[in-house]
Amino acid sequence: MPTLGDYLLVSGLLFSIGLAGVLLRRNLLIIFMGLELMLNAANLSLVAFARHGVTAFGLPDYNAQVLVFFIITVAAAEVAVGLAIIVALYRLRQTTHVEDLNRMKF
Amino acid sequence: MNPLYLEVLVVLLGIVLLMAEAFDGASAKRGIVYAGIAGLLGILGATFFIDPAAMNAAAPYARFYSADALAIFLKQFALLSTIVVLVMSLEYAPTVEANMPSERRGAGLGEFYVLPVFACAGLMWMASAVDFVMIFVSLELVTITFYILVSYLRRSEASLESGTKYLVLGALSTGFLVYGITWIYGVTGQFNLAAIAEKLPALDQAAAPALLFGFGLILIALGFKIAAAPFQFWVPDVYQGAPTPVTAFLSVASKAAGFIVLLRVVQTFLVVPALQEKILPLLAVIAGATMIFGNLAALPQSNLKRLLAYSSIGHAGYLLLGIVSIGAPFAGTAVLFYLAAYLLMTLLAFLVMTIVGRATGGDDISDFNGLNQRSPHLAFALLLAMLSLAGIPLTAGFLGKLFIFECAIDQQHWVLVIIGVITVAAGFYYYLKVIRAMYWQQPADPDAPEIEIGPLAKITIALLCALIIWIGVYPAPLLSLLP
Repeated sequence: MPTLGDYLLVSGLLFSIGLAGVLLRRNLLIIFMGLELMLNAANLSLVAFARHGVTAFGLPDYNAQVLVFFIITVAAAEVAVGLAIIVALYRLRQTTHVEDLNRMKF
Repeated sequence: MNPLYLEVLVVLLGIVLLMAEAFDGASAKRGIVYAGIAGLLGILGATFFIDPAAMNAAAPYARFYSADALAIFLKQFALLSTIVVLVMSLEYAPTVEANMPSERRGAGLGEFYVLPVFACAGLMWMASAVDFVMIFVSLELVTITFYILVSYLRRSEASLESGTKYLVLGALSTGFLVYGITWIYGVTGQFNLAAIAEKLPALDQAAAPALLFGFGLILIALGFKIAAAPFQFWVPDVYQGAPTPVTAFLSVASKAAGFIVLLRVVQTFLVVPALQEKILPLLAVIAGATMIFGNLAALPQSNLKRLLAYSSIGHAGYLLLGIVSIGAPFAGTAVLFYLAAYLLMTLLAFLVMTIVGRATGGDDISDFNGLNQRSPHLAFALLLAMLSLAGIPLTAGFLGKLFIFECAIDQQHWVLVIIGVITVAAGFYYYLKVIRAMYWQQPADPDAPEIEIGPLAKITIALLCALIIWIGVYPAPLLSLLP
């Protein structure tokens, strides 16, 4: 039976992998995948906290699980808008690499 | 009137405008803007007849939604800035049309006029959010709307590029926010700010690192939103590339809402003296760094939009100074007064910039050369905005800074006050650079006709100018309005 600590460790790993992906990778699509990983790390730890923070009636705290649904919905909206922007950028510049986004300088 | 209706009305207005736009065919869509402004003005009027008692305090939604004086003030703030942004969008319409892939008349204009209304609803919900779930959802409603607005000009590389940057960094800050909320929930088992504040004093010491970790992540996320150093690096590029009305909206309304959320979250955690000792010095360092960075980096700028981006970072620093001095009895009012003054002068600057930019085709400072000879009224309005931003006496900006510094002196943050005064002096230099271009430089084309201004924009500019001077000379009415 995994403990709360195990879940938090995995979620911490997910968050770090996502953050590393955002900071180190140069392709916008990979960066976007990293961002989604970070949100899912939060989802995982929220569910783990809800399961282990048992309320007076012996039930999990459903508030956290509801927040998970909100996060999933918001992430979907973000991806829809985000991919549309990346597609528009690709049509104009034929690139999805962040190094090519250097039009504005001092 | 029940305060809950306000946001519902704004969203309904947005939906009705979108539907009407669909039947409007190939036109300039001016009717959409006029209807939007009229509707928002009506709702703004309704905010003065709000009866918080009409809300059932025992109802479940009272855990998410508060209609205190602070929330009402920010709702009026959001409505007012949305109205001015719509006026600006009307002046900006030719640029939007020129940057759309479709050749149809009015293509893409309808959504450009309606999206700010939805963002306004999000800002108003943010003002009332007293629960992390509500804060998260309303913040995302605003942020996702802004992703679209910033990258709206599909033929403009600058707009798409800044939209992409805003998208990646905005989503990154969302990730931090959510993970921070998770940890605070894990420690306290609550999402509601008041319930968290109740639980905090009873927590044992072992939970403190997890709590601080969560608070730190939320602080990073809100730091992105209000553009505080060291999370300000996205601001110059995004502000420069975005359509000018959107830049104005970002720098005024989005920042103000971020500050209100920050104020509520920080106040929650300040109930514990042990946490207070850790949080306030951290905020003080951020405030100092933000003031220094924003004002010094603005010095060498030659693009007015980019200059205003850096100056808005500097203003965030002064506002943070107000939050650091939260112990002073007058601090809350000082921060709100500064926000109100900031709204007036920033929107005025961007409104003039939109109009001049349409006529000259650029927003470098050199595009403003000799503006006084071409359009003395516009030059005077921008002069007033710059003087107020710099903080010259008899303008609203001066009193805003004065009140903030007073609170900081009251709390004996001497180092921050010295940094503040020095950076204000640095600010004089770059704001006066704009004034010098308008009044002492020769225009590129001396025979250019006077710049045309739409009737709504004319009224708005006159009102904003009058308010800046009125509040600067006689602040009592505004102060009595503030909670």
